[in-house]
Order: sequence, then structure tokens, then C-alpha cells
Amino acid sequence: MKIYKLYIVLFVVAIGFNACSEDYLDVTSEDTNSENFFNSQEDYESALVGAYDLLQSTYLNVMLGDIASDNTLAGGESATDVIGIQQIDDMLHTPVNEQLSDIWQRMFAGVNRTNFIMEFQDKTDFPDKPRVLGETRFLRAYYYFELVKFFGDVPLVVDQRFLFGDQFEVDRTPKADVYAQIERDLIFAIDNLEYTTPDVGRATKGSAQALLGKVYLFQQKYGDAADVLDDLILSNAYSLVTDYSTIFENDNENNSESVFEIQYSDAEGAGFGCLQCSEGNVAVGFNGIRNYNGPLFDSGFSFNVPTQEVVDLFEPSDPRKDVAILDINAFAASNGATFSVGFEHTGFYNRKYIARQGDLNTGDANLTNPNNYRAIRLADVYLMAAEAYNSGNLGDGQARTYLNIVRTRLNLPDVQLSGTALNDAIFLERRLELVGEGHHFFDLVRTGRAANEIDGFVSGKHEVFPIPLEEILLAGNRWEQNPNY
Amino acid sequence: MNKFTLLLFYFIAAYSFAQQSIVSGKVLEQSTGEALLGATVQNKTKNKATTTDFDGLFSIEASVGDVLRFTYVGALTKEVTVKNFDPLTIKLLEDVATLEEVVVIGYGTQAVREVTGAVSIVDSEVIENLKPSRVEEALQGQVAGVNVTSSSGSPGAGLNIRIRGISTNGDNRPLILVDGNIIEDLSVINPGDIESVSVLKDATAGIYGVRAANGVIIITTKGGRKNQPLTVEFNSWGGFQQTSRKLPTLNSQQYALIKNEAFANNGEAIPFTDISNLSNTDYQDEVFEDALVLNNDASIRGGTEKSTYAFGVAVLSQDGIVGSDKSDFDRFTMRGNFDHNWTKNLKMETGFLYSYTSNKSINDGGLGSVLFNALNMAPTIPVRNAAGEFSLAEGLGNEVINPEAQLANTFNKNKVGKISGNFGLTYSFLDHFKATARIQANYSEAYGNNFNPRAFYGFGKVFNLTENVYSEYENFFSDYTYDAFVTYNNTFNDKHNVEATLGMSAFRTRGDFNDQTAFGNVSNDYNEVSISGGRNIVDGDELVGSARRFDQRLLSHFLRVQYDYDGKYLFSGVIRRDGSTIFGPENRFGVFPTASLGWIASEESFLKDNKIFDFLKVRASAGIIGNDRIPAFGFVSLLTGEGQYVFNDQIINGTAGGALSNPEIKWEEQFTANVGVDMQFLSNKLNVTLDVFNRETKDLLIAPDVSGILGAAAPGSGAPFINGGDIRNRGIEFSIGYSDKITNDLSFNANFNFATLDNEVLAVNNDNGFIEAGGFGVGQPPITRFQEGFTIGYFYGYQTDGIFQNAAEVAAHPSQLALAGVEAQPGDFRYKDLNGDGVVNLDDRTELGDPLPDVTMGFNLSLNYKNWDFQSYFFASLGNDMVRNYERNQPLTNTTTNILNRWTGEGSTNSFPRVTTGATANQVFSDFFVEDASFLRAQNLQLGYTLNEKALDNVKLSKLRIYAAVRNAFTLTKYQGFDPSASSGDPLASGIDNGFYPVARTFLIGINAKF
Repeated sequence: MKIYKLYIVLFVVAIGFNACSEDYLDVTSEDTNSENFFNSQEDYESALVGAYDLLQSTYLNVMLGDIASDNTLAGGESATDVIGIQQIDDMLHTPVNEQLSDIWQRMFAGVNRTNFIMEFQDKTDFPDKPRVLGETRFLRAYYYFELVKFFGDVPLVVDQRFLFGDQFEVDRTPKADVYAQIERDLIFAIDNLEYTTPDVGRATKGSAQALLGKVYLFQQKYGDAADVLDDLILSNAYSLVTDYSTIFENDNENNSESVFEIQYSDAEGAGFGCLQCSEGNVAVGFNGIRNYNGPLFDSGFSFNVPTQEVVDLFEPSDPRKDVAILDINAFAASNGATFSVGFEHTGFYNRKYIARQGDLNTGDANLTNPNNYRAIRLADVYLMAAEAYNSGNLGDGQARTYLNIVRTRLNLPDVQLSGTALNDAIFLERRLELVGEGHHFFDLVRTGRAANEIDGFVSGKHEVFPIPLEEILLAGNRWEQNPNY
Repeated sequence: MNKFTLLLFYFIAAYSFAQQSIVSGKVLEQSTGEALLGATVQNKTKNKATTTDFDGLFSIEASVGDVLRFTYVGALTKEVTVKNFDPLTIKLLEDVATLEEVVVIGYGTQAVREVTGAVSIVDSEVIENLKPSRVEEALQGQVAGVNVTSSSGSPGAGLNIRIRGISTNGDNRPLILVDGNIIEDLSVINPGDIESVSVLKDATAGIYGVRAANGVIIITTKGGRKNQPLTVEFNSWGGFQQTSRKLPTLNSQQYALIKNEAFANNGEAIPFTDISNLSNTDYQDEVFEDALVLNNDASIRGGTEKSTYAFGVAVLSQDGIVGSDKSDFDRFTMRGNFDHNWTKNLKMETGFLYSYTSNKSINDGGLGSVLFNALNMAPTIPVRNAAGEFSLAEGLGNEVINPEAQLANTFNKNKVGKISGNFGLTYSFLDHFKATARIQANYSEAYGNNFNPRAFYGFGKVFNLTENVYSEYENFFSDYTYDAFVTYNNTFNDKHNVEATLGMSAFRTRGDFNDQTAFGNVSNDYNEVSISGGRNIVDGDELVGSARRFDQRLLSHFLRVQYDYDGKYLFSGVIRRDGSTIFGPENRFGVFPTASLGWIASEESFLKDNKIFDFLKVRASAGIIGNDRIPAFGFVSLLTGEGQYVFNDQIINGTAGGALSNPEIKWEEQFTANVGVDMQFLSNKLNVTLDVFNRETKDLLIAPDVSGILGAAAPGSGAPFINGGDIRNRGIEFSIGYSDKITNDLSFNANFNFATLDNEVLAVNNDNGFIEAGGFGVGQPPITRFQEGFTIGYFYGYQTDGIFQNAAEVAAHPSQLALAGVEAQPGDFRYKDLNGDGVVNLDDRTELGDPLPDVTMGFNLSLNYKNWDFQSYFFASLGNDMVRNYERNQPLTNTTTNILNRWTGEGSTNSFPRVTTGATANQVFSDFFVEDASFLRAQNLQLGYTLNEKALDNVKLSKLRIYAAVRNAFTLTKYQGFDPSASSGDPLASGIDNGFYPVARTFLIGINAKF
């Protein structure tokens, strides 16, 4: 009996020792390992959705494109509300700036997601792969173009992910080399994409052509820009919307004029903890009217408020003024609406992209506005083409033709100017056509007008933003800061 | 046999026969006079024994001259020589010295006198006195070096236990074992069931290996005793709770005057043209209320020669002081222990614990909490408007809403059912060996729901909902721990005592998560909404991979050798090899040694007869303990990221990488050294313990900011964990206790302890040398840092240097334009240009304090006078700073009355800036917002009365005590916020006060009865 019980206990103890050999710890993850993916077209398509995702986080790039310029002020609740945006508005920004860090990190996150696909581009074949890779390379070009616009020289990696440890090896690639890669990617995209897509929202051949035209323009490659933009215009794949006032309304998303549009939705909630995770257009809520009560619009955080200066630039008969600018005092008076006054209140709101009623208001309602960002409109394409012809001395006649197509839609008289005067007219048209759409600061910089137009702008410094200090440190403190920061 | 011897024999026999009789009497506890039932009465001379009955009565065969021995657990043994046959009254003294007590040390027990580590014990008496709703509350102030903070005073809210400071940037929770079973959440334990709590503070915790790095708390529940008659105990206490603090906010008139001044200072029209007839609402009075708490528990215990048993049930019901039944907590627990000796050699131990908790919660942390709203809501706005609807919080910014409307729209419930069981067999064999196998298992189901109804709080409020949201969850967790070990114990040459334990332990924990969220139910009634009634269901079935379930395991083998020579020289050494699924195959196992030495100097012949020490022990321990508390699978890249985009106006779920991987991650290691001394003086009445420790955590597992080019900012991604830091905690712990009996009627017991803590980050290897955390205000950069050379989570911001009194002073100072885009004006803060570069900007920020206390102290005093008893418990924390972040600072939000001391003109003040609705840099994070949150708190004051025995005889009770107590009676502090003892629990950002839900002051009465 005694021995019997001894055996029981020893048996139990022994089970423990044996059953628990080291393979007890061999637990495989419930999740897919990133190195075992890309086994089907579905896998590629699914990763491509992930690569598109970071486009939505460019709402901040778009806001800063106007706030940094003389088009709008930072606004917000108070002088310390998103201090990074306030500083950029005042040209007081330093290498320590949370919003610039956000842009750096998000755009590289986008780059890495496209490179994840490119790294495994040869793993599995399927008929539709050229389109998948075309869209992937378009996205990589889009993200890198944002990086070059904001920061100048940036680390470039092609067809492989940056892996942990690479940050201590990689250098900032000269801007020209980054542009060269952007051009290669866009030419590949043009060659492999169609004007039509299986789904609304994907990049098209036209998207790639327009972006390439813009990239050429930023490098003053006027001939190349004119060629590719001509191709796009002559394809007749896009047409101007007749009624300018409808372009930015939510029910007119992906309209005939949209060459590329960043897609947003109000179907999913979002929070401040991860703004880049929102499926909504965060800028729309940030730009919205503070504590608004009235028809048509919804409340927001009163950022990105237009200046009196830009409002005054519109000709009285220009129908774009009432589309781009909301005179909140006048509107409130005639509609019985109320609102509160935010910081740097100018009396104007960026009407193209402020919160409107009629969406689901999924919480946080300020972060889930569904309105798409019209990233590249055909009007922009015409004006870029006009600029290419004029600045490249390729023919002011063609330049005027393109410029006047844009004006004709608005019932504005044709411009008859040429030379520098035409150049100024094209530039003014760009500013008025695209105000509030995030282009003006970069247009001022690339045309050398910024120092004259922006208070506090220092030539030789503010053309690019500083590399975020923590990014320099986190990469081993090897990179040189942009000049004069 | 000669005549003489015959005669002698006769006499002895006759005498013996004549004297042989029965001695009877009663055994009482000396200080309380309580009858002790189950005390063992042994006639040593005749080798007979019996036990006392309900009334402490016994009778035993004895002769004059026999020696009777009285023993009772927890009391000093007493021997009495029988002189006559009068009934005896034996009073047993409580065993204050506790040196013969045994303490659980992991895979075995050890006499306290032989313990070589830093171990503190809290016994059931302290817990019974403190009447905590949660066990953790009983540790605060009782154990030097243990700091318990709450992130919310809400009933059922978790408490953060920190043993000897913050040793890691991540999870600082100690390992908690209840009867050997790993319990992560102590809310499921009824404190009244606890027999003792041992806290292992130093390297000797290493026997528990992985997860013991933050210390170990071992809880033993009350069990029965051998040969103990059935005892029934009943406890009931209840009372009401109220807030321990209200902040002084402006009343309507003060408010209107200040706001008028602020608007006028900015050249704006004043908002209150007539201040004579303003409505006045104190929103703190509106949200705080008196709330009930009620506890009932009953237990039985007993034992036979071979078995012991215990069984208990307890019910606790507690309402919140904010939101009352919207933040309540209910707990039902039932537990049982049954131990049985099958044979002399085979022992079985079993136990079970069932608990069911249910709670509701309100928004009680951060921007938008109920208390935050109560502080910021304008006093001029009544709770309800003329139409009887909740008033809108107009003009108060986007976040501040009517707190009463918020409470009315709060709907949720969370329920957890948990069953724990343990079963173990111990077999003794070959004289010196014991083999033990035991399994402990937990299974719990947590389910609940949350409903945010359609609501409108004012225009632009971020909490407005035009579509309601209803969510449900159902999560399942299970874990087991299997231990098997063999112990060898022997004594050689009477002096060499050796015990060796060899064993293994396997731990596996699993979870399964299910969530569903529905938007847009037609009904807006909590009782009618459902998942299926929603427009859009985010289905739980879509949870995949690690979001859906997890499975983590540990496998450990250990060897412990304990040796002592003659009870004087003590040694204990442990070597333990731990394997964890957290790490990759190459770094999966870690080997962690610990060793400790002790010397009981008072046993030495040269000290044996000294007049000073009754006991003197010097001890030292050192060792390495591993820590693996980071998320699983950090060593491979997984596709756990979020990749969502919109095609055709529909959200499409794609695939993307999760947190970056680091195949190299390995065990975080903690190097601990402790030197201590235990002393007793004055016939063991005075106890002193002193410990000095140094803990250094190396290869800290941190997920620091990494270069943005790696893509960690992508949705669902994140930084990789790396072994990249080093933290040191150093300190001294001292405790002293004195207990004495002054007269037969009066005795007292006083204990005091203090602990110092010096925390310093020695390295952060992420190239920029720091990690930022901790939000402040709205849109401001992070204000806390984890940085080399500083305390973890220290505050980082601008230093003020008074107020600019006039324009000349502004002009003479470097420009402050960079802070908020506006130049300073008279009445604004002057910030120091610390680097002297002629401008005040981000580079001029510096250390402004830290949230960790430098010194914590506990003090308690008990007095017993006749049938009366009095206990008091105090706790003090010195040197902890807190950031005031509960004021929203909108043009029309309310504030505390501090603002009445504002700058109003040259010379008016140099400490509080002007009020204005215009842009200023006065709200940037500076030392103005950092306050000293040192405090002294009376945790418990209690007065009890025990009815005397005669009164009880009629009702068959052996003990009846009634008492009244006040918990958290008062707190002395300069801190202006609700609760200086609160903490978010996040080691990197623990001291930011967004309006912490304060602990309640509780008045209660209770009754304790034993049958």
C-alpha cells in the first residue's frame, strides 16, 4: 500500500518533468509571419490596401501646405493648441516639432508598406500583377514626393523594407536621386496602369501622369512636364466639372475632374490616440467651425482659417470665392447660426474642407468626416501645363489656352497676357483655384516667391522644413540638419 | 525487594491513587479575555492530551505535581504544575515575537527566525482592523518599501502595488500568489479570508523565478487546524462613504468677476454685465454623494486528527461616491480548503475559490472625466434649464460638458466569474524525502457591455453622438501552474541542518476575446438596444490572430539548498532556469542564481547572556531575477498591423505589418542586493528591522521611439522591443515595533516604518537618450521623460521666474515668442532662458520634479483597555510631485479659487499670472503646474468593544465584538488636487492629475461574532 502510493506520487512528479520538455515552449503565433506572405493575388491585393492606408494620414501635409503659406493662419483653440502647427504658421518652427515628426514618420511608414510588396514582387505570379505593382510604385512615388517637398534630401530605399538596424547605416539621399526614383516609379505606373480601374479610389494611369507632371514642375523640367501633362489632357479621360461649387461636396466625390483623390469614410470610429488610424478626413474636423450651431455645417476645431489677404484677391465675379471661403459672420447673421471664436479668428473658414452635416458622425465625430481630399484635380493639371509652357518658354499661346480653359469654366474673361505677366497670372490663378487645398506653400517655394509673400520666411532656410531632431538622433546622429535650422 | 522498598512502593501507589483525579479549567487569551477553543492541553507527566471546547473549558486527568502544557497557535506555550484541584484559569499570551511563525518562501516554508531574505508579513489581524475592500489597501503603510497607489477611487478600480520602487519601464506588478495560485487581479479576493500576506522584497523572491523581479506577494487563506472543533464566525460591517476632498472652485459671483476681467483684459466685451442675480451651482456638490458600502461574511473552520477544513462565503456591495450606482462594485466569493492526511506519509491539500464580481464604471480619468467636468463647468449654468432638461455647457470649449448629463448617459456593466482550484499531494519517504506534486488552475469569464446613447451636450462638443454605439464583449481566460518538487531534509551531527529542493514548474495562460459593436440602434434605451439592432456590426468573429486569442507558457526548473549550522549560520542558494515563449528560440532560456546568508548572532555564546539583545540576526542576499513581461512574439515580424483603405466608398481591410520585430530580444535581468538586520530587545517587546537594498535592472525591455524610416508610425505598428536601458533603485527600510502590557487591563502596540527610495535611470540606449510620455493640456508636447540620469517619468518643462511686472521687464528679458507665438506682456510668466542663448524656446526646458516619493512611512498604534480596543493606522508619503492638469482653461471654464490671487497690476503678485482670454504663453507646461503632493493620511481609526464572557454565555457565543471605524479620516497635504495619493500607474507618466477620482472617507460600524 505504502509503496503503491509512493509510486503514484513519483509517477505524477515524473509526468511533470517529462511532459514539460523544452518543446512545451514551442508555441506558434496566431498571426501570419510577414516572411510567409504573398502566396496569392489576394495577398498582394491585401498588402496593397495596407500601402494605400497611409495616404489618409496626409491630411496634415495638406493643412500645413496652406497654414505655412500666406493663405491661412493656424487658428485652433489657443496659442498653445497644437504648438507645432502654430510655430509653422509663424515660421518659428524648430527641429523639435511633433507635426513634422508625424509627417516624416507617416510618409516613411507608407514607403515601407510599398517596399514590403516590392521586396516580394517576384514571389507569386498572377495576370493582374502589373496593375498591382503599378499602383504600388505610384504610392511609393507619392510618399517620397511628400518627403522631398517637406524635407529635401531623405533616405531612399528601393524594393526592400528598412529593417531595424538599417537606420544606423542609411544616409540622406540627395534630392535629385530621390526625384529620379520617383520619376522611374511613375513612368512604370503610367506604363502599367489604365485610365479606368477595377475600383473607385485606386490610382490610375492619369493619376501617375499628373503626379509625374507635378514632379517635373518641381524640378523645373518644363519640357518633360508639358509632355506628360499634354498626354493626360489629350487622353480626355477627365473633364472639368461644370459647376465649380459642387466639386468639394461629399456627394460629388470622385467626380470627372478628380485625377487622384484620397478616399475617406465615416463608417468607422477614430480617436486622438492614433490620428493616422482614422478612416476619416481629420483635416475636415480640424478646419471646422468652432462650437457651431446652425444649418449645413458641423462643428470643428477652427484650424486653417483663411486670411483677409487671400479673400481680397478674388475678383468680385469669381464664383470660387464663396466655394473656398466661408464668411462666418455673414453666414451666421443670415442663417441664425452661432459659433465661438477661436484663436487667430479671421472671420473666414476654409469652406472646401470644413465639416458638413449629413454624415454618420461616428465618434470622435471630428475625426471621421468622410469627405475625400481631391489631391489632383484636372484644373490643377491645366494650370501646371500652362505653367510648364510659359515658364519653359514652350509657347505662351498654349499656356494661355490651358489657363483660359480653367477661367472659362468660371465664366471669367480670358487672359491675354504673355511672358512674366502671364506667369504671374497663372500663379495667381493657381492660388485662387487651389486655395485651401494644401498647395500654396510649396508653389511659393518652388517658384522662389516665398520670401516675398510669407512673413518671417528666411531664404536659404525655410524652403524645406527641418529634419526632426529626434529622427537625426535616432538614426545615430550622423545626418546633417537642413541649413540654418 | 526488601521491606523498605516494598513500603515505599506501597506509599507511592497509595499516594498516587489517592491523588489521581481530574483537573479542569478554562483557557483564555490574555489580552482580550476571549475563550480559546481548540487549545491543546497536555499532561506531560502522564502523556495525555485533550482540547478545549467552545467556552475554552477543559478537564484532564492529572495528579498534584503533574506538569500541564497549554498550546495554541499564535500564542506562547505555557506550562503549569498542578498544585491542587481547584479549577484553573489559564491565560495565554499572544505570540508577539512571531519568531516561531513560519513563512511561505516558495515550494516550502521556513521559520521566520531562519529567513535570510527581506520578507515582511501582514497578518489577518491587521487586515481585519483595516477592513479594506481590496487586499492591496491593507499593504499600504504596513510594509516598508511597498507603495500602493490608486488610479481611481472608484469602487473595484485597480490599485498599483510597487515593491521597492519602479524597476522597469513596463509592467511593475509584483507576482501575486493566493494559496500558490497566480492571481493577477486581487479584486476577486475577500480580504476577510486572508490568514497572512508575505511580501518577498529581495533576491530571495528568485525562487519564484520569472515574474518575481518586481517582488512576490504570497497570500495564504484561512484554513482549519487539526483537532479544532467546528468554529463559526460571522462578520458584518457597513457604512457610508463620502469624498475625502472637494476643491475650492469659484462661485458664480467670483466667477463672473474673473471672467469679466479676463475678457476686458483682451479688449473684448464682458460676458456678465449684471452679476447681481446669477444662478449658482456647485457642480462638485452635484456629482459627489454619500454612498453605501456593506460587507457580510461567514466562515466555518475545523479539523480532526487527520483532516482540516475551512469554508467561507462573503458578499460585498459598494456604491461610488461619484455616480453612486453608476460606479458600483459587488462581489460574491465562496471558498473552501480541505487538507487530509491519508496516511502518516501522504498528505493531500485542496482548495477552491469562486468569485463573481460585477461593477459599473464612469469616466474617471483624463480629459472629459466626470470630475474634470464638475471642476470646469460654469457655476452660472444650472444643472437643468427651465424646461427641465440638462443644460448645455455652451461656451466652455469642445470637451467640457455638463457632468450630470454625462452621468445620466453613462451605461455599462462588467461581470467576471472566476473559479480557481488547487490540488496537491505530498508524500514523505525514506525518512528524509518529501515529494510534492500540485496543480493550481484558474478559469474566468468576463463579459459586459457599454452603451453610448445619442446625446447632445452643446455645439461642437466632442462627446455629442448623433448615432448611438452599443458594444458587448465576452472574454475567456484560463491558466494553470503545475509544480513538482522533491525535498530532502536531514540533520548531521545534530548541528548541520540541510534542506535541498529540486523541482520544476510549468505555467500556461490562455485567453480568448470576443467583441461586437453596433452603431445606430433605433432605440436609445440601454435596456432595449442590442447588437443585432444596429446598423453596422463590427463582428467579433473578425477578430483574428493574437487579437482573438493568446497562449503563453513558462517552463522552469530549480534547485534550492538551505543549510544552517547549529541554528546560527544560515545559507540559502537558489539556481533557477526559466524558459518563456516571449523570446525567440535562441534566447528563450535564462539561468538566474540567488544566494543569501544569515547569522543569528544572539545564539553565539558570547552574546547569549547579553542584557541588550534578545535576538540579533544579520542577513544578506544577492541575486539575479529575470523578467519577461512584454507582449509575445516580439522576435518575429507579424502581419498584425492595420491596413485599411476605402474603395468604392467602402472600408476595405488589408494586411500590414505589426510592431517591428527584434530577433535579439532576451531576458531583462534584475540584480538585487540586500543587507538587513533583525533585532529584538526588552524581552522581545521591541522589534527592529533594518534593510538596505540596491536593485539594478539591466537590459531593460523597452520599446523606445525608433527612427521613423522604419515605419513604426503606421497604423497598428509600433516600435520593437529592445534590451535598451538600465534603472537603479536604492533605499533603506526601517521598521520598529513595540508592544507591552502596562497593567492587567491596559496593553498597547505601536509600529512605525519608513522606506526611502532613490530611483535613477542609468541608461536609455535609443540614441536620443530619452523616451517621452505623458500628455498635458491640449495639443502640448509630452511632459514626462524616461532619461538617463533622472528619475523615471520625471517632469520636463519650463522654469518660471516670477511675473513680468512692467513693460521694461519684458523688454529686458529674452523673447518668449517661440513658446506660443505671442510676445509676453506685463502680468505674464517670465520663463528662464536656461541655456542663455537669448531666446526662450524648447531648449530651455528642464527637470521640474518627479512623481515618486522619496520617503514613505507607516505608523500604527493599538490600545487595549479592558474590553475596549482602539487602533489607528497612518501613512505618509514625502517628496512625490504631481502635475495639475484638471483645469481646462477655456475663456469661460471655471477654475479653483487660486485665480483670485492673479496679477492685477505692477506689484500685485509675483506668482500667479494675469487673466485674459487673449493668447499667452502662461499655459505652457512649467513649474507653475507642478505641486508637492507629499501627504499624511489617517488610513483607519477604529474603536471596538468586546462583550465579556458572562454576557455571552447565555447566547452561546464565544466572542462578540462591535466596533466603529473611519477609513481615510483625514489627509494632510499642500497638494491642491483631489487626491495626492493617486497615480496613473504608468511608470513613464504616473503623476499627471486630470482630476483623479479621490479615495472615499468611510464611516462604518461592524460586528464580529464567533460561535
